[in-house]
Amino acid sequence: MSDWSKVTRPIPVPDEWTKPFWDAAKRGVLELQRCQNCGDFQHPPYATCVNCISTDLKFEPVEGGGTIYAYTIMYHTGDQRFAGAVPYASIIVEMDKAPGAFLPGNLLGVPYAEAKVGRRVEVLFETLNDDITLPQFRLAQTTSTA
Amino acid sequence: MVASGASDVDTSTSKHLRGKYAICGIGETSYRRGSDQTTRSLATWAIKNAMDDAGMNAGDVDGMLSYSGNDSTFSTFVAGDLGIRLNFYMDVHGGGSSTECLIGIAIGVIEAGLCKTVAIYRAMNGFSAVRIGGTGARSAAPVTGDQIHHRAYGWQSAGQMFAPSFLRHMYDYGTTPEQVAHVKVAHSNHASNNPKAYYKTRLTPEDVVNSRVICKPLHLLDCCVETDNATCIIVTGIDRARDCPNPPAVIQAIAGRTCKPRADMHYQHGPISTVAGYYAKDILWPNAGVGPEDIDVTGAYDAFTFTAMLQLEDYGFCKKGEGGDYVSSGIINLGGARPNNTSGGHLCEGYTHGMSMVIENTRQLRGEVDDFCPIGPDGKRQHTYDYAEGGCRQVKGAELTANLGWANPGTGSAMVMAKDR
Repeated sequence: MSDWSKVTRPIPVPDEWTKPFWDAAKRGVLELQRCQNCGDFQHPPYATCVNCISTDLKFEPVEGGGTIYAYTIMYHTGDQRFAGAVPYASIIVEMDKAPGAFLPGNLLGVPYAEAKVGRRVEVLFETLNDDITLPQFRLAQTTSTA
Repeated sequence: MVASGASDVDTSTSKHLRGKYAICGIGETSYRRGSDQTTRSLATWAIKNAMDDAGMNAGDVDGMLSYSGNDSTFSTFVAGDLGIRLNFYMDVHGGGSSTECLIGIAIGVIEAGLCKTVAIYRAMNGFSAVRIGGTGARSAAPVTGDQIHHRAYGWQSAGQMFAPSFLRHMYDYGTTPEQVAHVKVAHSNHASNNPKAYYKTRLTPEDVVNSRVICKPLHLLDCCVETDNATCIIVTGIDRARDCPNPPAVIQAIAGRTCKPRADMHYQHGPISTVAGYYAKDILWPNAGVGPEDIDVTGAYDAFTFTAMLQLEDYGFCKKGEGGDYVSSGIINLGGARPNNTSGGHLCEGYTHGMSMVIENTRQLRGEVDDFCPIGPDGKRQHTYDYAEGGCRQVKGAELTANLGWANPGTGSAMVMAKDR
């Protein structure tokens, strides 16, 4: 199990595009940017839909279930702030209900070796400070049909 | 999600430049750790060496291009140090994939009449100053914009960012780390015949997979070396190049910084193991008038073992998913059908963000690779084509080369060069 207790994560700084994502996360809700024209989700958020260039974009709540699409296990520290946690799993998750958007995260709550392509995961929220809460993942707690 | 295989690029307009420009000069410093020189000094030496190689003096070079990640010195300083009066210069941001692209820019500005001959350089203290694998300064920067996608989750270095592409390739196609380790093995064999190489020791696949894991599935020996060095190539029109002392490496086609639909979050728009070469190939091969099967030597960028594999696959040297077989089959070894990075590449020779691989292929086309073979009375190397350790690394009859430059999975450049007929 990765020891995250000594890790002080870099704090994301919201900008004009990402602020709604961070505001929602602070409320414990995963909201992703969705094009109201073509219906595509995208992440990170941008000024336009990168599929159809529509500017009619809204943030919509998204169910937190997904599948590990790819991952890596970090044995070597890049950012020194993560030194206490190595080895740890950083994963890319294909969301069930947000086609087009893949979310990054760490796999929390289980040994890092549990990270496998195709494993079912779900979002949880890690509070970093009063302003920023980070969407994260754990293995799915409920049996899924996906 | 799967991108269309058909080209949407108009490749009809640049074919008339096929064969009209060439690399006429190449130069480099040694590949070291601890240069004790400024990038300005390193660049000056590399350019001077390239000018000597081209038989040119300061008055013959009037254009300059460089690329860096704010870790180099501007053209204006370096040109002045060499006595060169510039008619054109530009210093651009960028790392891997810049070399081929800047050669294309050089051709464009010469064609447009801005200047006649362009020296392109990369100078970096990649070990003793700004380390690409190191992360000190970059870690201190605030996490903004798209970086929400990785920095807060402990993703920082190039290896950490690229590793999931390798891992998913393993999942989708059954590729193994042992197969991919053969890239390092081949390049280490090549480096053992390269007096300039930083690492000259021949390695086995076991050496690679038994080295410590950096980030799964990348081992230490899957990662390139960091060194201090500068490199330079000089580009000019074919007629002028033919007046130079060495045979021209004739430029047939270039794809420059071709991108996946998104270069940054590339896996949001196409499979994560698909790289920019998937798109660049549709510019490269039609403009070159040849295909991958015609190529004698490849220079697939090896920031990591698997980056070479993914590019060889997407440029069509083998079918998608068969890269593991391709790189472990012996094809990419000296003595194989199509050796890759005969200098040892970034995995073994030294790290220059791709320019050294263009220099190596220029030497291959000249038939003048600087290996351990004896130099004859005519001043030319007497190649033995014996690729045993400490021997030759000249590819017999090399006539066509392909450089496949990598910036990241989503961005790449490429170039085909030919021996002058």
